[in-house]
Amino acid sequence: MQHDVTKIRIFGRFIYPVSFAEESALFTYILRRLALMVFVLWGVTLAAFLISHTLPADPAAAILGNNAREEQIIEFRAKNGLDQPLPVQYGRYMLQLVQGDLGKSLRTQNPITEDLKQFFPATLELTLIAILFSLLFGLPLGIISALNRGRWPDLLARIFALLGGATPVYWLAILALSIFHEKLGWLPGPGRLDSYSLPPPVKTGLMTIDTLLVGDKQTFVDALRHLILPGIVLGAYSAALLTRMTRSALLEVLGQDYIRTAKAKGLSSRRVLNKHAMRNAALPILTVLGALFGNLLTGAVLTETIFSWPGIGGYATTSAITLDFPAVMGVTLIVGMAYSVVNLLVDLAYALFDPRISYS
Amino acid sequence: MHKLRILTAAALLLSLGLLSSQADAQSARQSTFVIGGDFNDLITLDPGVSYEFTGSLITDNLYDTLVAYENNDLEKLRPRLASSWKVTATPTGSRITFTLRDAKFSTGRPVTANDVVYSLNRVIQLKTPSSFLLTDVAHLKVGSITAPSSKVVVMDVPKAANPVIVLALLTFNVGGIIDSTEAKAHEQNGDFGTGWLKDHSAGSGPFTLNRWNKNAQVALDASPNAFRKSASIKRVILRFMPEAAAQQSALNSGEIDAAWNYTPDAFNAAKASGKLNALKTPTFQLTYLGLNSAKGMPFEDARVREAVRYAIDQDGIIKSLLQGLGRKTQTIIPLGMVGADPSISHPYNPAKARALLKKAGKENLNVEFSVPTGSCPGGVPCADLAAKIQADLSKVGIKTTIKQGVMSAVLTDYRAQKLPMLLMYWSPDFVDPEGNATPMSDYAAKSLAWRNGWKNATAAKLAQSAAVETNQTKREAIYKKLNALMVKDGPYAILYQPAVPIVISSAVSGFNRDANGNVQFEKISKK
Repeated sequence: MQHDVTKIRIFGRFIYPVSFAEESALFTYILRRLALMVFVLWGVTLAAFLISHTLPADPAAAILGNNAREEQIIEFRAKNGLDQPLPVQYGRYMLQLVQGDLGKSLRTQNPITEDLKQFFPATLELTLIAILFSLLFGLPLGIISALNRGRWPDLLARIFALLGGATPVYWLAILALSIFHEKLGWLPGPGRLDSYSLPPPVKTGLMTIDTLLVGDKQTFVDALRHLILPGIVLGAYSAALLTRMTRSALLEVLGQDYIRTAKAKGLSSRRVLNKHAMRNAALPILTVLGALFGNLLTGAVLTETIFSWPGIGGYATTSAITLDFPAVMGVTLIVGMAYSVVNLLVDLAYALFDPRISYS
Repeated sequence: MHKLRILTAAALLLSLGLLSSQADAQSARQSTFVIGGDFNDLITLDPGVSYEFTGSLITDNLYDTLVAYENNDLEKLRPRLASSWKVTATPTGSRITFTLRDAKFSTGRPVTANDVVYSLNRVIQLKTPSSFLLTDVAHLKVGSITAPSSKVVVMDVPKAANPVIVLALLTFNVGGIIDSTEAKAHEQNGDFGTGWLKDHSAGSGPFTLNRWNKNAQVALDASPNAFRKSASIKRVILRFMPEAAAQQSALNSGEIDAAWNYTPDAFNAAKASGKLNALKTPTFQLTYLGLNSAKGMPFEDARVREAVRYAIDQDGIIKSLLQGLGRKTQTIIPLGMVGADPSISHPYNPAKARALLKKAGKENLNVEFSVPTGSCPGGVPCADLAAKIQADLSKVGIKTTIKQGVMSAVLTDYRAQKLPMLLMYWSPDFVDPEGNATPMSDYAAKSLAWRNGWKNATAAKLAQSAAVETNQTKREAIYKKLNALMVKDGPYAILYQPAVPIVISSAVSGFNRDANGNVQFEKISKK
């Protein structure tokens, strides 16, 4: 990424008129990043494999349990190649991986790809709602806070930021369930749908989309309502962080000379904020948002556990406890991939806000 | 005026429609039973493969076995698919002849003796984790089970196996009878239909599988063809709710009808509230201390092992930590099972423990104490239980250093005979004292006695002779002797026999969870 003056088109929007050379520079940049991603993901698999295997425990013993006989343990190890040296095991895994095969879960014998197809969309849906909540809540609150520096709205926003950042998700989840579901009955409880209803056939794995695809509006509303509490709980920390980040970024920009100049030129406060201040404050906010997305994906496990959300967090936990290495590797890979893609998108999005950024 | 009439009529029709749809929803709720629990152990719904608690709970309602236990009486076998059976002696062992009742699978096909032969043979051939019950315990082979007619099944049991135990094994889901035509139709690469039966059903039980959304729910629908008809409940939904707090919230708000994993605190609060039914359901599980008795290990001397048993305050553990969710027992055969002997007792006696340690010359013993992380049976954190044991043992001069590890790591070391002392639990594989006796007392079985480095020829001989004894009175007498020997000399200090706390809505009746973890959903009704 270079910060020299150039023009670019991104997401179909013309920031400046672009030439063919500049457009191809962007594609080269994307291709380079994608190639780099392959190496990053390879590093992730190696690290995950080594860390998983440093545990002084036998996956066969963990999966077959206390009652399993010694013959069963030996047979299980042989069947799943666990009796082979680590380099051989890793080599076999990588050989499968380059063919697009994530292998089979040691515990369930299900193809990992099938498992991930089921669990990842549930987490993604929850994460997107959490991000939406943190954006809808954190951004305006940060702006209000910065524009009212030192006054009561600022104080309230800072208290929220402090509480949101310091409250343990686990506690917040139980509290939210107890008050808004159990006591007040305003919002539904654990799960993705009402306990008595059955989900529609899985098409995308995103419950809201799947219910719409079969035209079941009632279940769609139910699915949407079920996203509110866990979405808010999961997004609370991000909203708090975003509030603080927006506040500090905006405060820094609002003190710049060009803002004073814009105001002196007679521009309205709204125009100064939208056209000049927010645009310049957006880069650090965008960076944080990208990092938050990755954190939410991996950090959803507690929220998922309390809200009985059948996502990747619960799958990862069960797999880790039972030393189901292929499943752990699968989760690590998909989360790593999602994280890398989001970071790439964030890097590309910089150009939307700052025309000086070039990818040539 | 005319318009007003039309409007009134439309409003009336709309209200009637709404009322009727509300009534339909209410009736659907009344005929649906929802349980919330930690069902994450579920791997497959194939009865021949499943070896987990949740798998067993569900397949018991999807499939019928030849014989079964009913309600909480796990000592008396009852007819199920077999209307009667007869055990006769043969020169090679014994023969069990089953006569089948008229029954139909959910697919509509009649249950035949050929289906029984296919179902049991496939378990033998599949070599799954549960196959050993038929191959190694019952010593059955392909060819041991035959079908002389469509209603008669003959099982030839060799001398090495006890027909009493074989019948007990057949009550487990491994003995579930599958529609062979359906299974064969879905076979792939000689898998006996396991791939398909993992998330489909083809049994004659009171329910059929509607769907299984992994980690979310399992839905069962009442089967119209079943002879164990579900009169009231038409659908059962098992909701995956791993967290006890979520279960409580969902039960209090009416989202679920039963919760599977209450904590002792929450269970007692529910019991005190009087609004819910708090059921303390039994188990055959034993929570115990493993005392490594191998040469050079801290518990090599039998007096030291006995001292530990006298030093543990079992009543204190059950009352304060488990809050009543456990029973006091000290024998290796759990209470409620044939061969259990509640009269054998080891009273809490720290003075005697100190005296035994003095005699053994181990007055200042230092031991590493391995403890798994997480919850122990009965809902108590293993760390809390370990702290109580540490305090009890320190009173008699045994100093323990607690070493906590994830279950997989603890089990790996336990299997390698490396642990001097550990906190662990055990459930028998089947409802018979043999499920505990051999693993816990016979070193050669390479199970618990082996892991604790304990070798006792008398105990092994008692377990072996009880395993083949067909006379129930004689068998019970042997187990009594074995229990007494183990309490005096064995490598375990049994801490308690836990109960599973289940809380159900007061609108539910007919709910019964047996010590094996099974519930007959067809007997449940809702107000």
